[in-house]
Amino acid sequence: MAKIIIIDDDIDILEASSLVLKAKGFEVLTAQNPDDGFKLVMENNPDLIILDVIMIEPDDGFFLAQKLRKNGFAKPILMYSSVSKSTGLKFGVGELVPVNDFVEKPISPELLIEKVQKFLNV
Amino acid sequence: MSYSGTNSKPKILIVDDEDALRFGVKKLLEIEGYEVSTAANGTEGIALGTNEDYDLAIIDLKMPDIDGITVLKSIREKQPNTVCFIATAYASYDSAVQATKIGSHGYIPKPFSAEELLHHLKLGLEKRYLILESQKLKSDRENRLLELSFERSRLNTIINSIDDGVLVVNRDEQVVYFNSAALKYLNLHEIFLGESIKDILPVKIREIIGVHFFQSENRSYSEEVELLPEKKLFVLATSTKIYQHDGTLAGVVLVLKNISEFKRVEFIKSQFVSMVAHELKAPLAATIGFINLMTQKDIQLSEEQKYDFLSRSNSRLASLLSMVNDLLDISRIEMQTVVRELKPIFLKEVIWDVLHLFDIEIKNKNIQLSFNEEEVNPIIKGDLNEITRLFTNIISNSIKYNKQSGKILISIVELQHFTIIRIEDTGIGMKSNEKEKLFQDFFRAKNEYTKNIHGTGLGLAIVKRIVDSYNGTIDVETEYGSGTKFIIKLPLMKSEELSVYKNESEIAFEKMIGPNK
Repeated sequence: MAKIIIIDDDIDILEASSLVLKAKGFEVLTAQNPDDGFKLVMENNPDLIILDVIMIEPDDGFFLAQKLRKNGFAKPILMYSSVSKSTGLKFGVGELVPVNDFVEKPISPELLIEKVQKFLNV
Repeated sequence: MSYSGTNSKPKILIVDDEDALRFGVKKLLEIEGYEVSTAANGTEGIALGTNEDYDLAIIDLKMPDIDGITVLKSIREKQPNTVCFIATAYASYDSAVQATKIGSHGYIPKPFSAEELLHHLKLGLEKRYLILESQKLKSDRENRLLELSFERSRLNTIINSIDDGVLVVNRDEQVVYFNSAALKYLNLHEIFLGESIKDILPVKIREIIGVHFFQSENRSYSEEVELLPEKKLFVLATSTKIYQHDGTLAGVVLVLKNISEFKRVEFIKSQFVSMVAHELKAPLAATIGFINLMTQKDIQLSEEQKYDFLSRSNSRLASLLSMVNDLLDISRIEMQTVVRELKPIFLKEVIWDVLHLFDIEIKNKNIQLSFNEEEVNPIIKGDLNEITRLFTNIISNSIKYNKQSGKILISIVELQHFTIIRIEDTGIGMKSNEKEKLFQDFFRAKNEYTKNIHGTGLGLAIVKRIVDSYNGTIDVETEYGSGTKFIIKLPLMKSEELSVYKNESEIAFEKMIGPNK
């Protein structure tokens, strides 16, 4: 079964999302900050990453995505955040933000599963 | 009829050594509505005639002391607008010519009849009228020219002094006018009049001017332009059409208004808004996440899990509520809509009250409390709610971030016009980069110690705003892992002010003696 890593500083979100995905049979690992997240990804080579934008710093998610890409991680990254439009940063899928999709928090379990299944071709 | 510019009668001077003629003419002219002065000789005539601007003067040619020609000359020199007549019985062509040459209006041969005299004088008055009229027009014109040049230099000075850049171009897009602020904003040392804007202005600015030469129907067009990168210089550029009398386009005036500061504030504000949005949305997202999880039919949860999720949702919502309250406080302080009730506040009393508020937390964490009150009883002038809020936020932090069985040391002293309160804990302390951001909105230190400590990130931001609003200071000394000390300095209430509240404060003082610990 596919392996998913969720990186988010909000432990409640981590837990709820994990449970939703685990109920669908995915293997889920979690990290609460960019450093732990990076390590976890490098060690476990997941099939998909779900990544929060604002953690310790407001742009942690962006930097982590760039760092992961630079280090050869080529699998899909699904980025989510509770703030996108008003931060002044141009959010979107592109070179600056090398992710495959971008969604606003909160994500309903249905949407989360739909997105994950799309990326994993389940 | 008025000739001297006032409503007075026409004034006439008669210079003649013949007494009978003087009196006779005087009488006649007074009846005719003249104001008549007379001089019996040349000396007197010069004295009167040079001293006053008569409308008319009749000067006898032959007088024993000074002759009429000399008198005429003297009067003409001083009063060029007085219309003078020479009168004499010895009329000759030569003297008439001479008199006219030096400015006599006419020549009245003696003897003359009343009609003859009045006729001459009537013509003289008409002449006087024309002289005064043209004099007036001339001086008006001169004044207007002077005014105009004043006005122009004043306008120049004004336009050069204003902080907005002004630049005018003609139909051929050549610069015809500019002020020094325009040079400054456009980062130019000099513009030559007649220079094409294509050669000197940034593309964006040229486009804003150019709008009027191509499509725009509007009189004015405005756009914000970043003239220097990184928000160093932002201007609002407004171009406006200038029309000629016949309605065709004469040119365009460009006004550059420096809005950099405004843009900076706007940026900070929008950053704050996005931070607020994020902070408010996070607990909502978490709660919605839990609820979704619990309502999902295909996910089986145990009773313990459900209870856990509900109580966690509850605490996230509680933190959301306190965040909203903090935000409202901040906005009240910032908008200065707080209705402050300023009165004497006994700080020791406030601190004791706050400590009592946290009795349970202090007991639960087995914190050892020490309040070194010394021999002072500082009184400040403030709003009790705000000052209580200040100490509540700090003391709650020193409990929240303290270790089990830690210590809190509070000391209070007076130093000149200030009171200094130190609140020290033996908690987790801060790293130096965390200390720097301590008073920022929504800043919460995130490290291995703070994982399970909740807060809005606004407590100390509020503290800072309150301290600032009382002209106080707050400093922090901290060491990561071993503790934090807040040093708050607030101005003491002036003793003369305090006496006004004497009765009240006596009551308060009695109240204060009670809760000693």
